[in-house]
Amino acid sequence: MDYKAGVVLRDYIIRRILLGIIVLIGVTIVTFTIARVIPSEPAARWVGPKATVEQIERAREQLGLDKPLHIQYLRYMQDMVSGDWGVSIRTRQPVVRDIRNFLPASLELTITGMLIAIIIGIPLGVFSSVHKNKIPDHAVRFFSIASVSLPTFWLAMILQLIFFKELGILPLAGRVSMEVRWMMPFENITGFNSIDTLIAGNIPAFIDVSKHLILPAVTLASYPLGLITRMIRSSMLEVLGEEHIAVGRAYGLSDHLIIYRYALKNALSPTLIVVALSFSYSLAGTFLIEAIFSWPGLGYYAALSIITADYPAIMGVTILIAILYVVLNLIVDIVQAFIDPRIKIG
Amino acid sequence: MFVKYRIFILIMITLLVLVVIISGCGAPDTEPGATPEPAPGVRNIAVILDTEEIVVFWDPSETWSNEVIAFQNVYESLLRYDPFTDTFEPILATGYSVSEDGLSWIFELREGVKFHTGNPFNAEAVKYSIDRTKELGMGSSFIWDAVEEINVLDEYTVEFVLVYPSPLDLIASAAYAAYIFDPVATEEYGREWFYEGNAAGTGPYMVESWIPMDELVLTRFDDYWGGWAQENKFEKAVYKVIQEPSTARQMIEAGQADWITMLPFEHISALEADPNISITVTPSFQNLMGLLNTEKAPLDNVLVRRALNYAFPYDSVIENVMLGYASQGRGTIPKGLWGHSEELYQYGYDLDRAAELLAEAGYPDGGFELLLTYASGNEFQRRIGELYKAELVKLGIDLELRGMPWESQWDMAKAPNPEDRQDIFVFYWWPDAPDPISWLWGLFYTEEEIGFNLSYFYNPEYDALIDEGSMLAGADRDEAIRLYAEAQQIVIDEAVSIFIYDQENVRVMRTNFKGYKDNPVYANVVFLYDCYRE
Repeated sequence: MDYKAGVVLRDYIIRRILLGIIVLIGVTIVTFTIARVIPSEPAARWVGPKATVEQIERAREQLGLDKPLHIQYLRYMQDMVSGDWGVSIRTRQPVVRDIRNFLPASLELTITGMLIAIIIGIPLGVFSSVHKNKIPDHAVRFFSIASVSLPTFWLAMILQLIFFKELGILPLAGRVSMEVRWMMPFENITGFNSIDTLIAGNIPAFIDVSKHLILPAVTLASYPLGLITRMIRSSMLEVLGEEHIAVGRAYGLSDHLIIYRYALKNALSPTLIVVALSFSYSLAGTFLIEAIFSWPGLGYYAALSIITADYPAIMGVTILIAILYVVLNLIVDIVQAFIDPRIKIG
Repeated sequence: MFVKYRIFILIMITLLVLVVIISGCGAPDTEPGATPEPAPGVRNIAVILDTEEIVVFWDPSETWSNEVIAFQNVYESLLRYDPFTDTFEPILATGYSVSEDGLSWIFELREGVKFHTGNPFNAEAVKYSIDRTKELGMGSSFIWDAVEEINVLDEYTVEFVLVYPSPLDLIASAAYAAYIFDPVATEEYGREWFYEGNAAGTGPYMVESWIPMDELVLTRFDDYWGGWAQENKFEKAVYKVIQEPSTARQMIEAGQADWITMLPFEHISALEADPNISITVTPSFQNLMGLLNTEKAPLDNVLVRRALNYAFPYDSVIENVMLGYASQGRGTIPKGLWGHSEELYQYGYDLDRAAELLAEAGYPDGGFELLLTYASGNEFQRRIGELYKAELVKLGIDLELRGMPWESQWDMAKAPNPEDRQDIFVFYWWPDAPDPISWLWGLFYTEEEIGFNLSYFYNPEYDALIDEGSMLAGADRDEAIRLYAEAQQIVIDEAVSIFIYDQENVRVMRTNFKGYKDNPVYANVVFLYDCYRE
């Protein structure tokens, strides 16, 4: 990259970050307002189900809920910037600590799921497009529609029934077996069990952890897998019909070169956006999968926070996901510019 | 052809091989259906499943929630109450006496007891714990409201001085807010230390580790005052959060768990045939009620309220919604708790009688609308509402069912204008201490500011009976029971509430998990020290 392009890229990133901050402020205002105007009494939840009126009044003061809404918001933002995201009404733990506890589990699951979806989805889409309207294409299309439309909870339970109850080769739920946790304990460094076990060089624990990952990750992969396959297939078909491909063929370039070097590169662009968006969505939206596989992740945390009107936790999760959306979109835009020279940044 | 598909086939084969390799190696797996072999070095582990986070309120002064299931094994109170025999088991107190006026209670404390921190238990610790709980004023700390001061008489004797007579033995046995904890650790480390997942009790088990929303591990406290003479007691206990009932069910079927707090009823019958699983049904102290708004027409008319009581399909609800795991309520005090009386009048399902009463009240064809509020998300309450609605339609009454978050439901009930409130408020009640006063005072006693008297029932005669009864509850239990029955009869005659059902606890456990005894005072608690594996 030459100097000029570097400057353009730098300015672009700075502009996007500033824009991202404005988006985030907007998100916080909207979330804060919604979380606080819905009819609920966080103070009552704070003290208990049979609290007296005086107890609730005291809690309102403690939690600063007796102040006007805009003061509450400003105070919240002030604390947030300094790293204090408040204390969850429901779990009684600092929201930052909660997120630190639950985020790695969700990230580990989501990343694995997305990797499965990408590793299988892209070749499958290419394969399908190359054999357009032949039996393999029909089979792949059937598969991708099925994987998009299968209800998550149903797929999860079917997988549990087959691999745990019938075959007995994969664990039912949880992140690690109790035996492994006690007999072969490993230090919690990154929060990603698979990485932590590898850092510790604890191979049996790594295998146990990986086994626990398979079923939830496959369930999670199901939806993006179908989506990616379909996206790749249709973009590939579009690209393969273009003139430069026909020219390439006329020059006698091999099929392999044409498909993977020229066509797939162009077809990847739109798929990348889908991957990025479903990644951030899956992170807090996999509440059902987390519930069925007893996976202590962010999705379940978010769902419970919403049900209990736990506004500091709702704010925390929303801001986190919003930051992820903004950052991922930025990365996707930059990566797109690199793989597809037609897209100009700046 | 093969060349064209080779990448695809290659990927599929690689994935397949990976799955086989990963699932084929590693630590030896437990065969599904078999009892888990305790890992060497960890002799005997109890695994208990619950759908909710095990511990939320780590501070023993604040606790009022699900943590009771673990904390009753970590912390201890002075006494433990058995409602079936109406007796007290000495725990941290070895004995107690009460003055004639019922205002001074003296407890002799157990000697040689240590906290998990190693510090000694004594009268100072009792005073410190209860004082701190009262001062913080969280959760159910109000159970100590009658206590004016606590005096340390000597190292192992403590006196509670009351403002008004109150059954302090029951209060000291409460499931929450009655824990005694280490004053030294509390002062030194503070509240934050508790919330990081620490405890400072005297119980038989100590907290070993905690992973939020996942598991809490307790391990034996070697210096426990009760000793560990019996060989097959559990070395550790794991409380696992399993949100999905079908996952919990598969775990207990596969022998990966010993005990489940509560499975949805539809799973129970499927498990009955399994010889490795035993199911027990015992009374709980939780009951469901529909409080009627006595300040708003047409329910300000006692005849209409009685009609609503007769129109309720009790049997159908118990059979179809609760699948038989409940019995119709008789008065407000649930079956099994002292004060419950089988002599009280019980409304039965009788639509003709209801129609007569409505006609008498001036509503021969119904012709009015009622609003019933319940906790949103509670499937039982919703289905019960549907059944009731179907009955009321027959009387020309249109019942609107509205599921609301608890806080909103309660806020609406406290609206300044009675017209803005609901007509029927459906909710559960359970006691904070094993004392019927929780219902009698909490739900029907005259309130200056609306709390839980959501029938808005103000009756001086009733109040006088409760005042007198609660004074006598510590000294003359029989007379208190008689007065409470009389008071409940007023509530029934006035028909201020529909007593829908007293719930039952259905426990699912492995057959080889022994020693468990359900005690509804300590809802959902497995006292691990009494349990063992056969």
